[in-house]
Amino acid sequence: MTAIEIRNLSKTFGPVRAVDDVSFSVESGTVTGYLGPNGAGKTTTLHCLLGLVTADGGTALVNGRPYSALERPLAEVGAVLEATSFHPGRTARDHLRVICTAAGLPASRADEALEQVGLAGSAGKRVAGFSLGMRQRLALGTATLGHPRVLILDEPANGLDPAGIEWLRGFLRTLAHEQGVAVLVSSHVLSEVQQTVDNVVIIARGRLVHQGSLEELTGNGDRPVRVHAADAARLVPALEARGARVERPADGVLRVHGVGAEAVGQAVLDEGVLVTELVRERSDLQEIFMELTREK
Amino acid sequence: MALVRSELQKLFTTRLWWIMLIVMLLFTGLNLGFLIGFAGVEGTQGAPGLPGRETLAFQQSAWTAGAGSSIFVMVLGIIMMTSEYRYQTITTTFLATPRRSRVVTAKLVAGLLVGLLFGVAALLLTAAAVIPSVLIAGGEVALLDGGIPRIMLGVVATSALYTLFGIGLGALVRNQIAAVVGAIVWVFVVESLLAAVPALQTVGKFTPSGAARSLIAVQIDSGFGQADLLPSWAGASVLVAYALIFALIASLTTVRRDIT
Ligand SMILES: Nc1ncnc2c1ncn2[C@@H]1O[C@H](COP(=O)(O)OP(=O)(O)OP(=O)(O)O)[C@@H](O)[C@H]1O
Ligand SMILES: [Mg+2]
Repeated sequence: MTAIEIRNLSKTFGPVRAVDDVSFSVESGTVTGYLGPNGAGKTTTLHCLLGLVTADGGTALVNGRPYSALERPLAEVGAVLEATSFHPGRTARDHLRVICTAAGLPASRADEALEQVGLAGSAGKRVAGFSLGMRQRLALGTATLGHPRVLILDEPANGLDPAGIEWLRGFLRTLAHEQGVAVLVSSHVLSEVQQTVDNVVIIARGRLVHQGSLEELTGNGDRPVRVHAADAARLVPALEARGARVERPADGVLRVHGVGAEAVGQAVLDEGVLVTELVRERSDLQEIFMELTREK
Repeated sequence: MALVRSELQKLFTTRLWWIMLIVMLLFTGLNLGFLIGFAGVEGTQGAPGLPGRETLAFQQSAWTAGAGSSIFVMVLGIIMMTSEYRYQTITTTFLATPRRSRVVTAKLVAGLLVGLLFGVAALLLTAAAVIPSVLIAGGEVALLDGGIPRIMLGVVATSALYTLFGIGLGALVRNQIAAVVGAIVWVFVVESLLAAVPALQTVGKFTPSGAARSLIAVQIDSGFGQADLLPSWAGASVLVAYALIFALIASLTTVRRDIT
């Protein structure tokens, strides 16, 4: 089911074309990474989607309707935005209760949500004393108050420590893959979301530059196989006989292009060479990302 | 209405409201102390003094004491609106209620209620000070005649409406400090001048405080003779018109603006 649909969305701020004819969609049960360098237009897109900013053109729909037409928005969509902030003098629990009241949710949801994001122990503390990571968790708790089926997050990993990021990844994956929630998560660091997302949408200077699955982006075409073997030289003819192109970046190391890992393994077996490492190299996502979003 | 409850909850879960309440009561108390302390004291060189504690005139002027604290409810209204922008809680508010006019309406209704509450609190304090001092002076306590009910109503209405002015101003200016400074300059400089200088009183009687004064009928004698005021029905209409204008400002400036 299509949970988020953005069609030909445009928004101009004075001379800046922040979002320029962007279209993409997010399906239920998947995590989509919305990626782009600083100033690419990610936040603006999400703000248009959430009715905080009025688009100049195009449509942005959640569950088939504009956000402002949703009858009970928090029960359908949860959002963690960059600008999500809290009154420093209010406690975490009160912050959530105020929203529960406005959204017609039972006040008991406040404590449940705090429990879920690991803030139960700080429920009665004023937000002024919260660390960046705790605020980020509270924002996530705010977003999940109404058990939404669509979750929109703008740079949610900012301020989280490695353990926090790991926790967030698990949290988002569980929601999407086990509970069928549609997750759209923005980031300016591809590697940060690489392990979480199923699909990626890449934007640069307001324009869409790539949309598809993560595999499509990295491309299965040429991912070389790296082989470490003391007697590496002996493997070269056998590999070349199988149609491979072989690089020798260092002594005892081969980079094999044009054939799969299985073919390389077969060559190793046939030649009876002792191999200490045989691995399909990961394409450098960050490099692909940089290439796609580079100024022309 | 759930949204009004949510707005009241916002106010009552932070410290601001009771700090403002205490400050407002202190200010009213100071006013009362002055009126009671100097009641019946002759002015120098035969100038008219303040009325004695046993007189009705004393009670009439003492009951207006609460109206002088309108600046505090106005600041409260300003902060109710601007703190949402200052702490960016406005995004969360609009995500929960994307129809922004509903948020504005809820804020105005909540502001009105809080303003009423503050007005009643000021009246209670006044009652606690005025009734004993009248009794001690051997006067007769007037609560239902001598225009006192109208004055009480005027104090409560002024308090409620100034909260709305604050909310409207806050929505227009959005910067908390600028809005508060603007309100203080307006009340203490512009309105005071317009009220005190006779040549300006034709304009001054149409300001919110001028209209409010006509409601509570305090004849301020600034040494230039009787103040020029509107009849109280007209004053009430002017105040309501201001409230509507500020409510309109609050809606128009909030409904379409981009939140980035
Ligand atoms: N309120 C605004 N007024 C003027 N220009 C704006 C406004 N908001 C955003 N912009 C401009 O629009 C462009 C896109 O900004 P946006 O915040 O959407 O980028 P982003 O992809 O979220 O970047 P980041 O990774 O830094 O958060 C930028 O050039 C920015 O300067
Ligand atoms: Mg951004």
